[in-house]
Amino acid sequence: MRYFLRRAGFFAATLWAAVTLNFLIPRLQPGDPAEAIVSRLSGETRIVDPAQVEAIRKMLGVPGGNLLAQYGDYLSAVLAGDFGVSYTYFPYTVTHMIAEGLPWTVVLVGVTQVVSFVAGTLLGAWAAYRRNSRVDSLITLGSTFVGTLPFFWLALVLIYVFGFTLNWFPAQGGYGGGSSPGWTWAFFSDAVQHSVLPALSLLIVGPVGWIIGMRNNMVQTLGEDYARLARARGLTRRRIALTYGARIAVLPNVTGFAIALGGILGGTVLVESVFNYPGLGRMMLEAVSNRDYPLMQALFLFITIGVLAANFLADVLYGVLDPRVRGEEAA
Amino acid sequence: MALLEVRELSVTYRPRDGVPVRAVDRVSFDVAEGEFVGLLGESGCGKSTLGNAVLRLLDKPAAITGGTVVFDGTDITTAREETLRSMRWARISTVFQSSMNSLNPVITVGAQFEDTFQAHGIDPGHRAAELLAMVSLDPVVLRRFPHELSGGMKQRVALALALALSPRFVLLDEPTTGLDVVVQRSILDRLRELQVELGFAVLFISHDLGTVMEMADRVMVMYAGEIVEDQPARAMTAAQLHPYSRGLLGSYADPRAAQISVTYVPGRPPDLSREQRGCRFAARCPMVVDACLSEHPELLPAGQGLARCLMVDSPAIPGGFAVPGRARVDTAEGPPVLAVRDVVKDYRGGTRAVDKVSFDLHSGRVTALVGQSGSGKTTLAKLVTGIERPTEGSVRFGATDVGALRGRKLRAYRRHVQLVFQDPFAALNPTSTVAYALSRPLRNHLGLSAAEAGERAADLLEVVGLAPAAQYLDKLPHQLSGGQRQRVVIARALAPEPAILVADEPISMLDVSIRAEILELLDRLARDRGIAMLYITHDLLSARMLADEVLVLSEGRVVEGGPTLRVIRHAEHAYTKLLLDALPKPV
Repeated sequence: MRYFLRRAGFFAATLWAAVTLNFLIPRLQPGDPAEAIVSRLSGETRIVDPAQVEAIRKMLGVPGGNLLAQYGDYLSAVLAGDFGVSYTYFPYTVTHMIAEGLPWTVVLVGVTQVVSFVAGTLLGAWAAYRRNSRVDSLITLGSTFVGTLPFFWLALVLIYVFGFTLNWFPAQGGYGGGSSPGWTWAFFSDAVQHSVLPALSLLIVGPVGWIIGMRNNMVQTLGEDYARLARARGLTRRRIALTYGARIAVLPNVTGFAIALGGILGGTVLVESVFNYPGLGRMMLEAVSNRDYPLMQALFLFITIGVLAANFLADVLYGVLDPRVRGEEAA
Repeated sequence: MALLEVRELSVTYRPRDGVPVRAVDRVSFDVAEGEFVGLLGESGCGKSTLGNAVLRLLDKPAAITGGTVVFDGTDITTAREETLRSMRWARISTVFQSSMNSLNPVITVGAQFEDTFQAHGIDPGHRAAELLAMVSLDPVVLRRFPHELSGGMKQRVALALALALSPRFVLLDEPTTGLDVVVQRSILDRLRELQVELGFAVLFISHDLGTVMEMADRVMVMYAGEIVEDQPARAMTAAQLHPYSRGLLGSYADPRAAQISVTYVPGRPPDLSREQRGCRFAARCPMVVDACLSEHPELLPAGQGLARCLMVDSPAIPGGFAVPGRARVDTAEGPPVLAVRDVVKDYRGGTRAVDKVSFDLHSGRVTALVGQSGSGKTTLAKLVTGIERPTEGSVRFGATDVGALRGRKLRAYRRHVQLVFQDPFAALNPTSTVAYALSRPLRNHLGLSAAEAGERAADLLEVVGLAPAAQYLDKLPHQLSGGQRQRVVIARALAPEPAILVADEPISMLDVSIRAEILELLDRLARDRGIAMLYITHDLLSARMLADEVLVLSEGRVVEGGPTLRVIRHAEHAYTKLLLDALPKPV
């Protein structure tokens, strides 16, 4: 129990530090969003009228006052879930925009991550169980090969082959122009159709790391004294592979998986850009290139919280799965 | 027909890109029903490989390349996997080398008993608890995870597990190596009782000569992949047939004897990746004749058993080189080099590692700190070297208060106090040469130029007996044997011309046949160079050999101290007596 409490305390402290850094960093950067907007509006001329700038500041609600007061306002706003108005998608609020994009990203990447992890771990375990057999060579060599392919290249090949040449699946976007988002069957099947190619690209590359990690861990655990002794005890091969191999070898992978889940929000920029998918990754790219501070800040905070929560989850899971960790912390 | 019949068994390691090594070479022996057989040999002689081959547990790249292992009428080397699986544990079981890692870390002890019963279709009932009771463990242990048990408890669990299905044969591979002597003693005593009670046969593999000679009915000695001698233990203790056995047994003595002298076998075992001609021990043998170099001796009847030696009928020439346990000077003259006074060291969480310890180190004298693991020996070494600061009390080097040193001054102090570590394999950077390892302290502490350091490094190697030095300077650690590595570590410690040498178990990782050699070197260095040595050990024999003064440490306190002979031969404190009683007593 103490172990979990300590982990939770650590989680809370890091979260606070992250929120504070998230507040400070944009304020330490040079440049002013209002000026950026004005110069964009006035195009080439670059003549900035101070009155205009002031007007835009008012409209955007650029905070004034000293840093400490700003910090106080910021904290209470964050707690209330109020991140202000997006500069890019004006007049929508940041919260609204994130609510729009979040389901797309979470469903696409979340599902593919889980499937990749499960498939990768199973394949890796199978390869280790049949070590040095043909199955092992096929799995190991195959995944190493796929692992060397650049992701964007793979994605472009998929678009070219299935999107343009064969025309099986739509090549971009989250849903077709004809359907509008809603809980209808038509929209759902349309969205699924659109998600096939991005999901496929993620599923091809996704399991590689899990396969290799699992195989190598398990080959090692099966070589340990306890696995050898299990063999000497006359346990069946299956039993040894599961309880004395996979059960122990999967531990580092579980941690890796929890951390990978945290990276979902931040790690989707590439796939969503390539497939023009309406998720958070693409939104982040937009926000950064438009100096959309409120949206950027909120997204970064989201990513940070995601990573921290995932780390916390990993620690908790590890504590449940590995009795040694619980023991050490309690001692 | 014997219970276990091993005939002409060979095991070869074939690394993917390396030369094949025949680790076990045409070995034949029997183990009869209920017999307790010891297999004695040094690291690398093939004894553990032989054990694994008997259980058919060899992993790639090792494989049986010839011969048979017949157990109770079934040939294990060719048996089908399913036949073998049902035989395993029900009839043949094993306890591995230091069971630290032989239990599954993520399931409870109880689950591992259940596994075993289930695999053989046996209803466990209350068997597991009864088995634990047999090795004096509480049934509550069944609910524990392996990491929650001490080393000794894990080893008891491993033993109980080995006896779970009442096997007729148990292979014990270094079952108590790495455990404290007192714990080792209680486990071995229990093992022997159980063996008599239950009547299973045992093959006991160990490098620990005293234990093997005490436990076994019959002892086989293995050298370079072959069995070189096989005799009843009593007969072997009285008269060894093979010069190598003579060398091994010569390296053991009872530290309580009035006069002791132990021997060592110079040289090192042959490289088994090469073709062997003649007798494999010839290069190290004091009795070698021309025929030994060309003719490979067979294992033939001799004395009360078997021996593999052409000269077996010639009168024995005392083997190797003898190191007398010399008479020590009981009183020290002059002021101490280092004075430790009422030192206390508390660690976070309130554990008191060292409790009011005082002693002096004198130039040219060796002080031994004797105790079990956890007694505070290593903490004291850290206090002496300035790695840790005392919580109370003082460590004085001349006028300097070691505990108060910081930064540059501490660095300057370290020149005067050097360490020799336990593990010569870990103490040297595997990627730098001997010359580099030796030049660092010379350049850092003495400020020598590269050329001067190179010259001095060569001198140092000669001092520690690695001559000619040129042959060793450019070697990397893995190209040296354990003994040679430890000599390099000692040379490195000597480099900055220290006044104090702290040697922390410097011989415990080395082979028995060369331990005395390193002790002799340490002894010579202390006397000739006037170094004050703190010798940390759990081994009373080496303390008796080397030290002028012995301090017995228990739970951070010095329970007994004084001149070596007095402490070891006329121990007064109960704890010292306990340590002495735990020593193996060869029959």
